[in-house]
Amino acid sequence: MVSVKLVNVTKVFRGGVVGVKDINLVIEHGEFMALLGPSGSGKSTTLYLIAGIYKPTRGRIFFGDKDVTKLPPRERNVGLVFQNWALYPHMKVFDNIAFPLRLRKIPESEIRKRVVSVARMLRIDGLLDRYPWQLSGGQQQRVAMARALAKEPDVLLLDEPMSNLDAVLRISVRAELKRLQRELGITTIYVTHDQAEALAMADRIALINEGSIVQIGTPSEVYGKPRTVFVGGFLGNPPMNFLEATVGYVEDKPILVIGNNKLRVPDHYEELVRKLGLNQVIVGIRPEDMGIMDKPVPYRTIRAQVYAVEPMGRETIVVAEVDGSQVKIVTSKSIVLREDQDIHLYPSFEKIVLFDPKTEKALEVLYEEEKLE
Amino acid sequence: MPKSSVFSSKALHGFKQFVRSEASRFLALALFLVAVFYIIPICISVYMSFTPLRNWNIDRYAGIFVGLENYYRFFYLLANDPSVKSVFLTTAVFVALTLAVNVLGGLSLAIATFFVNERAAGGLQLLWLLPRMTPIAVYSLIWYYFFHPSSIGTINGILYKLGLISKPIDIGQGIIPWGAWAIIVFVNGLVGVSYGMIVFTSAINNIPKELVIAARVDGASNWDITRKILVPMLRWHILYVTTWQLLSLLTTYDHLFLLVKWGLVNRDYGTTWSLYIYNTAFLTGLQDQGLAAAAGVILVIVSSILGFITLKLMGFDKLIKPPRGDL
Amino acid sequence: MPGMRDVEVRSRASEALILLVILAVSLPLITGYSLLILSGFSKSMVTNLDPSSFYPTLMNWILLLQGRTAQFAGIRVNIWGIVANTLVVALGVSALVTLVGSLTGYAVSRMNFAGRKHIMMLLILLHAFPGSVLVVGVAFIYRMFMPPLEYIRFYSFFYVIVARAAIEIPMATWLMKGFFDMIPWEIEWSAIVDGASRFRVWWNVLLPMIKPGVAAVMLFGFLAGWMDLIYVRTFLVDRTLATFIEANAEAEYAYLPLVAVAGTLYLLPTIIFFIAAQRLIFTISVSGIKG
Repeated sequence: MVSVKLVNVTKVFRGGVVGVKDINLVIEHGEFMALLGPSGSGKSTTLYLIAGIYKPTRGRIFFGDKDVTKLPPRERNVGLVFQNWALYPHMKVFDNIAFPLRLRKIPESEIRKRVVSVARMLRIDGLLDRYPWQLSGGQQQRVAMARALAKEPDVLLLDEPMSNLDAVLRISVRAELKRLQRELGITTIYVTHDQAEALAMADRIALINEGSIVQIGTPSEVYGKPRTVFVGGFLGNPPMNFLEATVGYVEDKPILVIGNNKLRVPDHYEELVRKLGLNQVIVGIRPEDMGIMDKPVPYRTIRAQVYAVEPMGRETIVVAEVDGSQVKIVTSKSIVLREDQDIHLYPSFEKIVLFDPKTEKALEVLYEEEKLE
Repeated sequence: MPKSSVFSSKALHGFKQFVRSEASRFLALALFLVAVFYIIPICISVYMSFTPLRNWNIDRYAGIFVGLENYYRFFYLLANDPSVKSVFLTTAVFVALTLAVNVLGGLSLAIATFFVNERAAGGLQLLWLLPRMTPIAVYSLIWYYFFHPSSIGTINGILYKLGLISKPIDIGQGIIPWGAWAIIVFVNGLVGVSYGMIVFTSAINNIPKELVIAARVDGASNWDITRKILVPMLRWHILYVTTWQLLSLLTTYDHLFLLVKWGLVNRDYGTTWSLYIYNTAFLTGLQDQGLAAAAGVILVIVSSILGFITLKLMGFDKLIKPPRGDL
Repeated sequence: MPGMRDVEVRSRASEALILLVILAVSLPLITGYSLLILSGFSKSMVTNLDPSSFYPTLMNWILLLQGRTAQFAGIRVNIWGIVANTLVVALGVSALVTLVGSLTGYAVSRMNFAGRKHIMMLLILLHAFPGSVLVVGVAFIYRMFMPPLEYIRFYSFFYVIVARAAIEIPMATWLMKGFFDMIPWEIEWSAIVDGASRFRVWWNVLLPMIKPGVAAVMLFGFLAGWMDLIYVRTFLVDRTLATFIEANAEAEYAYLPLVAVAGTLYLLPTIIFFIAAQRLIFTISVSGIKG
């Protein structure tokens, strides 16, 4: 049983650049965890810390109960696949896969057995006599996977292993990799900047921004309940819409005022808005959580003008302007809209997330934190 | 605790750390060779400069201490001996002129080859690399025949054919001092051109090509591009090559040795400081290693100062990137 | 625009003019080398540019390779022995320089250790040490450890090789460092995570990846040892081509073509190197066109 635990891990590089700060993260045994974030956010740094390529400036790293903070990489038994796959160009596929095994002084007959079986599992058993440069990108990626898996690692670390593949191949490899991980039941940490990969494959996603973990949760949690404006804006394609609103009161009930529109506060936020006593909020609505109507409904619709219509085949993206800012609506209906036409947006109120404009945190997060203090 | 002992304990700690590190095993052989063939010889030279060592009679002279006598002798000769005086005059002229040939020649070649097709450019650059790659004895031999004082000399042959001379002239021995200087500057200039050429060419290749192409679209000629784009962007490299070559010229002597020994150029006006040290220690009738060492130690001081200036100019601190990872 | 460095519609005339000017400046260089080589194939020296002194013959080559340097006096010189001596020095220097350069180049490229910066600074400063001062100190050490007479030849070979190789260490280290720098870090990390020691990474993974770099350092080491004059004439008991030419350049006029032949023979590795380099440049430019 190998779980991976990072406790208050901080990495400061020479020259004072902070790679990651105060990372706390637990990856359970057999779990598929994605580290997701924009480039330069510190996700690869986190992975290299787990692999032992970097040594933490502060904090500890545990594999199960064992403290591996000071252990060199070779004693950690991790499999690592890089973005460029790092295949040894002068070795044939067989020797590439066998390399970690040979270093362990495993008898050659046993090596042959293990290489062939892992190659068969990844369907590259016909390529063992070739050199890496004779393989396609997808095949090279499988060889790198095979090399990482051949030594039967406790933890599999993947550093954007698919970003060098073309878009079509990426989607097919995605499903295969997820299936493989499930069958082997191996603890896996997957670094990516591609939200689709993370959402599609991971059991849980850790979102990292500017060296800190912003949110950890299952794909539906991080997608549906973003804790900060950053998470809402990073996830989803197109991402969440944000509208600035002032809080007003009508007959002692809080309402949201967006330009000339008045909108009721979603039920699950009524009490929070009252308790926190905010004057301003940011309204977050996912593009697919809004409908388009031709007539206004009091306190339920937002008036908007059509800016552009982007038919995408399966769905249509409507770009509209609300009080000077742009919002996007994804609709499956094939509707006919003219530019500059007036429309009325009807959000699903139970899916709305409200953020505090100052801290950019969701109101429920802000409330919890205030309660703790 | 006094400051110096803090420093030395820190240095000691660093040294211990180094010895224990894996890197020290990779570096051991190199450090050993550097110690035995650079550091210790320099220390020995300093020591020798305080002894009356001559004719390599180590048993007899190496144990005797004469203080600064060799230094006094060196400065006395410098002030009074015409042939030592001429050696230092020659050194100054040689270094200045050859440096100009090296830097300007390298720059011209790099820029000129930039404007011709790449195959021709490659061939021409290779041709100018030839002097550096040629065995020193052969290279000296080529110019020995080229400037030969008899009728077999190429220069003499040309001048005779042109009707400018009626009998062979001895450039290196007969036209003193400029004939001798012209030969040594010419021979060494050709060797040194390649260094500047290589540095400048690679620097030019690193200039974004869009700059050149955009200038062409705007109507720039070769000369405009040279003046407005290439040379301004090479300013730093020119400075660096100049100091580096200055150092090289001050310290090398290999390509002069045979020209002097074969008598192609006048001994006094063909010998530079560095060659003077070698000849005093190994060649002259009375091999005077004490004096050679004293002259050498002063040269080491001068060239070390120049070396540090070069390091500063290189922007050494910026140049070295620390390796990635904490392994 | 891969490989493109200027517009393709340049004026052919100005390109031709530049080429002509460079060729004119290069003329002494071309003349000097050609005349030396040509003189070896003639009964008398052609260095005076007089076509009438050119009588084609292979006699000089035959005489030299038979070891008869002085045609009439009948002095015999074992030219093959001299070539072998030169070769031993060149190969020894090449091997040592490659070994040390690849070890040191790896360490300064890939490892972080106390004093890394100082060692790299030292490598550059070594250039500032005047060769003539070094050779005086090196000669002192040479004489201090002089072995019994019967071992002196072996000792002098060993000493010349090691001392000459030491001179090339800074250059070899920087060259190798450049090649190691080009290998992606992920390759190294992969191997280390797979359980390889640094020594194994160096030997089994990185060195095979920079074979061209190793070959280049080997070649430069070879040429350095091959072309050396000062160390060989100061320390080596046996003769090499350099000291042979040093002693015979002022031979009587009748035998000068023989010395020219010796010079041409000595020049052969350089010429081979240049033909190889020319081909290399050609392949690079051809593949550049394709890419």
